[in-house]
Amino acid sequence: MSDIHWPVIVILLPLAGGVACFLWPRRSVLLGLLTALGVVACVAGLGGQVVEQGAQRYAVGGWGAPLGIDLYADGLSLLMLTVTAVVGLGISVYSSGYFERARYGQDRARHFWPVWLFLWTALNALFLSADIFNLYVTLELLGLAAVALVALAGGADAVSGAMRYLLVSLLGSLFYLLGVALLYHSFGSVDIAILAQRVEPSPAVWAAMGLMIVGLLLKTALFPLHFWLPSVHASAPAPVSALLSALVVKASFYILLRLWLEVFPFANAALAQLLGLLGAAAVFWGGFQALRQTRLKMLIAYSTVAQLGYLFLAFPLASITGWTGALYMLLSHAAAKTAMFMAAGNILYFGGHDRIADLDRVVQRLPLTITAFALAGISIMGLPPSGGFIAKWLLLETAIRSAQWWWGGVLILGGLLSAAWVFKVVGYAFTRSEVPHEARAVPATMEWTALLMAVLAILLGLFAPWLLALLEIGSPFGRENAG
Amino acid sequence: MTLLQSVFDALLGFALLWLAWQALASPDLFKGIVLFIAFGLLMALAWVRLDAPDIALAEAAIGAGLTGALLLAALARLDKSSWRGFGRTPVRPPEGNNRDVIHPSKRDTKSAHEKTRKPKPITENGKGQAAFCGLLVVSLSALAAGLGYAVLTLPSQAPGLSDSVAASLEASGVSNPVTAVLLNFRGYDTLLELGVLLLALFGVWSFGVVPERRESSPGPVLDRLSRLLIPWLILVAGYLLWVGAHAPGGAFQAGSVLAAAGVLWLLTGWRLDTRFSGWPLRIILVAGLGVFVVVAVVLILMGGRLLEYPPSFAAALILLIEAAATLSIGITLAALFLGSRPETGPQR
Amino acid sequence: MNPAFLYALVGVGLFTLGLYALIVHAHLLRKILAINVMASGVFLVLVALATRTQGAAPDPVPHAMVITGIVVAVSATALALALMLRVRAETGRAELAEEPLE
Repeated sequence: MSDIHWPVIVILLPLAGGVACFLWPRRSVLLGLLTALGVVACVAGLGGQVVEQGAQRYAVGGWGAPLGIDLYADGLSLLMLTVTAVVGLGISVYSSGYFERARYGQDRARHFWPVWLFLWTALNALFLSADIFNLYVTLELLGLAAVALVALAGGADAVSGAMRYLLVSLLGSLFYLLGVALLYHSFGSVDIAILAQRVEPSPAVWAAMGLMIVGLLLKTALFPLHFWLPSVHASAPAPVSALLSALVVKASFYILLRLWLEVFPFANAALAQLLGLLGAAAVFWGGFQALRQTRLKMLIAYSTVAQLGYLFLAFPLASITGWTGALYMLLSHAAAKTAMFMAAGNILYFGGHDRIADLDRVVQRLPLTITAFALAGISIMGLPPSGGFIAKWLLLETAIRSAQWWWGGVLILGGLLSAAWVFKVVGYAFTRSEVPHEARAVPATMEWTALLMAVLAILLGLFAPWLLALLEIGSPFGRENAG
Repeated sequence: MTLLQSVFDALLGFALLWLAWQALASPDLFKGIVLFIAFGLLMALAWVRLDAPDIALAEAAIGAGLTGALLLAALARLDKSSWRGFGRTPVRPPEGNNRDVIHPSKRDTKSAHEKTRKPKPITENGKGQAAFCGLLVVSLSALAAGLGYAVLTLPSQAPGLSDSVAASLEASGVSNPVTAVLLNFRGYDTLLELGVLLLALFGVWSFGVVPERRESSPGPVLDRLSRLLIPWLILVAGYLLWVGAHAPGGAFQAGSVLAAAGVLWLLTGWRLDTRFSGWPLRIILVAGLGVFVVVAVVLILMGGRLLEYPPSFAAALILLIEAAATLSIGITLAALFLGSRPETGPQR
Repeated sequence: MNPAFLYALVGVGLFTLGLYALIVHAHLLRKILAINVMASGVFLVLVALATRTQGAAPDPVPHAMVITGIVVAVSATALALALMLRVRAETGRAELAEEPLE
C-alpha cells in the first residue's frame, strides 16, 4: 500500500475518465459512475496512507521544489479531497438520473460527464498542489469547467450567468497570477513551503498579498464580491448548482487559507478584522436576501452567500479551534447545500417550477425530498446534532475564549435568519396552492441521493472527533498562536 | 545598453499602451480587433527585446494570430445574427432547452424590459455614470501607482531559478531551457494545460451548433494562397517541433502554426468529411493529453514518479509527447475556430 | 532605467488599462479583449522582471509559465467568444443585462 502513488492516481483517474467519456459518449453515464467510484476508492487509499505515514510530499518528475512541482497532502488537503469525493459521488449518482437523455435535452448527458470529470480533476489537483503557479492552472481548469457546466442548462438566464461567471473567474485568476509573478520575483520560487521559509514583508509582497486575496475573494464570492453568485448558482442545472455551492467556491477559499497561514503569516490584525467584518456582512446580507426570494433555487443560492460568510469569521479569531470550526462549517455546508440543491432540483423536475409560494403540498408527493430539505436545513441553521452545530460551537467557543464575543452574536443571528427561511419553505410545502403541478415522476435515485446527503450533513455532527483528528495530520494550522 | 536601445524600448512601451487603449476604446469593433492584433504583434517584438524568443513565437502565432482569427470569426457571426434580432424581440430559446428556468411570467416581463431598454454606451448615462467613471479612474490610477511602486522596489538581482535549470539541463533530455521547463521540470503544468485546452473545446461543443457561416466561394486569391501556404505551414510546424529541443520553438508554437494551416483550410470552405468527424477526430483531439497520461502511467509502473523520465529516454519521450501535443493543439485550435461540433455521420 | 523595469511598468499599465475597459465597456467582445490585454500585462511583468539581473541570461522558468499562460488565455478566449454568441442567440444582445451591483 505504502508505495502506491495515490496523490497522482487521484488526479489522473478522473482526467482519464473524462477523456474516456468524451471518446465513448454513448457509454458516458456508465464510465462516469465507474470513475466516480474509482476516485472515491483512491481517495480512501490516499487517506489510509496519510493517516498511517503522516503528511505526504510528492515531487513530480523527481526534481523537487523549487525546480519542479510538489504535491502535498496533509490533513487539510485530505479533508477537502474527502468531501469532494463524497459530494462528487453523490452528484454523479444524482446526475445519472437528472440528465437522463430522454428527458433532458437530446445530448446533455454526453456533454455533462467529460466536463464534470475534468472539474473533479481540477479540484483534486488543486487540493494537492503545493505550487502557487500550478494552483493558477488548476484554478483555470476549474473555472472553465464550472462555466461550461452552468451553460449546460441553456436559456437566457443560464447563458448570461455563465458569461458573467467566466468574466469574473478570469478576472480573479489574473489578479492571482500577478500576485504569483510578484512573489516569484521576490523569492525565486513558487513552492508554498519554500515561500513560507523565505518570505519577509516588502512592498512587492504586500502588493502580491492584496492582489491574491482580492482575486480569490472574488472567486469565493465574499460579500460584497458575491454579486455574481446568486444568479449563476440559481440558473445552473441542479446538480451543477450543488457542486458549485458545495465545492467550487470552497476551492478558492482553500487556496486563500493556505496562503494566509503559510505565505502571509505577517498579515496584520486589521486585515483579519476586515475579513471577519465582511464575513459578518455576508451572513446578514445573504440571510436577509434569502428570506426575500420568491424562487427556491435563488433562495438557496443566497444562503450560500451567507454560509460563505461564516468561513471568514475564523480570520479575526485566528486560533486552531477557530480554523477547525471554519473547516467544519465548510464540510457540513457542502453536504447540506448539496442536499438542498438536489431537493430543489427534484421539486423543479417534479413540478416544472420552483416558485416557493406555489409548492402546493409537495410534502405529500415528494416526502423524501422535503425530508432531505428539512434535515439539510437543520445543519444550515446549526441545530444539534448536525455538522453545522459542531462548526458553530467551535467558532462560538473561540469567540468567547478570545474575548471577541460579538462574532458569536453573528453566528446566532445568522442561524435565526436561516431558520426563518427554512421554516418559510417547509411551511409552503404543506399548504395548498391554486396553481396545479405538471407532476412528473422523479427518479428514485434523485430522491434518495438528496436524502442521503442530508443525513450525512446531520451525521457529520457525530463523526466530529474522528474528523477533527484527521484534520490535525501535518498540523496545517500549527503555526498559529492559540487564542 | 546604448541610448538607441533605450529610446526603442521607451517607444515600444508607449506604443503598446497606446495600441491597447485604442483597441479597447475604438467605437468600431472590427477596428478594435485589428488594433488588438497589431498590439499582439508588438508584444512579440517586446518579447524579442526581453530575450524571450520562445514566447515571441507563441505570441505571434497564438496571441496575435489565432486569437485574432477567433475574434474576427466571432465578430462575423455576431454581425450576422445581429441583423436577425436587431433591437427587437430576443430570439426565443428553443423549446425544452431551459429545464431549470421554467418561469414564464418572469421571463416575459424581463424580455419586455429588454425591448424598451436601448443599449447605451456607458458614458452617456448621465452624471452618476460620470462620477462612477471618475472614481474608477482615480482608484485604478492608485492601483497602478501602488503596483508600479511594488515592482520598482524589487531587488535588482533576480532570485530566479536560472542556475538550477542550467544545472539540471543535462539530465532533462533537451538543451532549450524553456522546453526543458515546459516538458520536464514543470511538465505537470503542461499536462494540466492540455487539459484546459481540451476542456475549452468540450465547452464550446456543448453550447450546441452555431449557425454556420458559409461563404459563397473563397475567391481565387484565397484559394491559390491557401494551396501555396498550407504545405509550407505544415512543414514549418514540423520544423518548430523538431528544433524546440535545442532552439526556440516547441509543441505550442508548432501546434499553433498547424492550427493556422487548419484555419486557412477551413476558410477556403473545406470541411471534414463526416466519416472522420466522429471517432477519428476525437482520437486526434485527445492524443496530446492521452499520450502524456499514458507515458506518465507507464513510467510510474516502471517504478518512477509521475513524469520522471529516465535521462537516457528523456529526449525521445519528450519528442513523442510533443509530437502528439502538436497535433492535438493544432487540431483543437482549428476546431475552436470552427466554433461548434462538426456534424458527424451516423452516431456510433 | 533598466529596461526590465520599464517593461514591467508597461505591464502594470496594461493590467490596469484592461481592468478599466473591462469595467466600463458593456459589449462582451470588448470585455473579452480587455481580459486579453490584462493577461498580456501580467505576462509582461512575469517575463520582464526575469531579465532584470544585468548581464545574466534570462530565467527560463517564467518564460515557460507565460507560454502556459498564453495557451490558457487562448482557451479561455475561445470559450468566452462561443459563450458570447450563445448570449447573443438567447437574449438578442451581446451584452449582459443590468449589472447586479448597481
